[in-house]
Amino acid sequence: MSISRNRLYLIIFIACMAGYVWLIMNWLFPPVHHSKETSICLLKHFTNIPCPSCGSTRSLLSILNGNFLQGFYLNPLGYVLLMIMIAAPIWIVYDWIKKSQSLLIFYKKTEVFLSKKTVAIPAIFLILINWAWNIYKGI
Amino acid sequence: MDAQKVDMFILTNAKFFESHHVAAIRDRLIAMDDSKWVSVSTIQFKDPTTSLIVSILAGSLGIDRFIIGDTGMGVGKLLTCGGLGIWAIVDWFMIQGATREKNMQKLQQFLY
Repeated sequence: MSISRNRLYLIIFIACMAGYVWLIMNWLFPPVHHSKETSICLLKHFTNIPCPSCGSTRSLLSILNGNFLQGFYLNPLGYVLLMIMIAAPIWIVYDWIKKSQSLLIFYKKTEVFLSKKTVAIPAIFLILINWAWNIYKGI
Repeated sequence: MDAQKVDMFILTNAKFFESHHVAAIRDRLIAMDDSKWVSVSTIQFKDPTTSLIVSILAGSLGIDRFIIGDTGMGVGKLLTCGGLGIWAIVDWFMIQGATREKNMQKLQQFLY
């Protein structure tokens, strides 16, 4: 039960494409200044506090420009996003051609894996550390 | 199962399900064996209102999705500032329906 294959693939595919469009837009028309006032992030917009993933656009752009360390410094989650954005569309096309559902199975396994207490608590802790670091950096 | 018990269940729990599911749930429960009553009546459902509040307050962190058990979608929202803020706003309107769907799935494990 739960989410169907086509629905999940469509959501992931649209999300990845939106991510690419967003990246290209930021690459072609870099914002003049990354001040706290100009942001698409709702949390930062309303409270001026950056969220755990604020700065990942800049991080991804730095990684794509070859500044791997700066990318890590801006937001380590950029690397996670990079992996997802590269892997997911290829995997979807592969499943689509093969008519299999290996990504759906992987997605469900990951959900179960992330819901385990031994995984979830360290993961939440890491995100919180990243968040604190983001606030400290004033991303 | 006893129609009175079923109607009591429906009265207390109708708010946790989509309205178009309620009639089917009632029929299913009436046809069900009495021995399952204890397990069915003690299922804990997620309140759609709670998830709406969480969605408004912490939607851009994906916490609403984590709460209803949509871990994958939650991670997606968390990693992208709530889908660049768009998904977070879309979810203000979607999350109640998603919660009701999740409740239906939970109940279905007992119904079928």
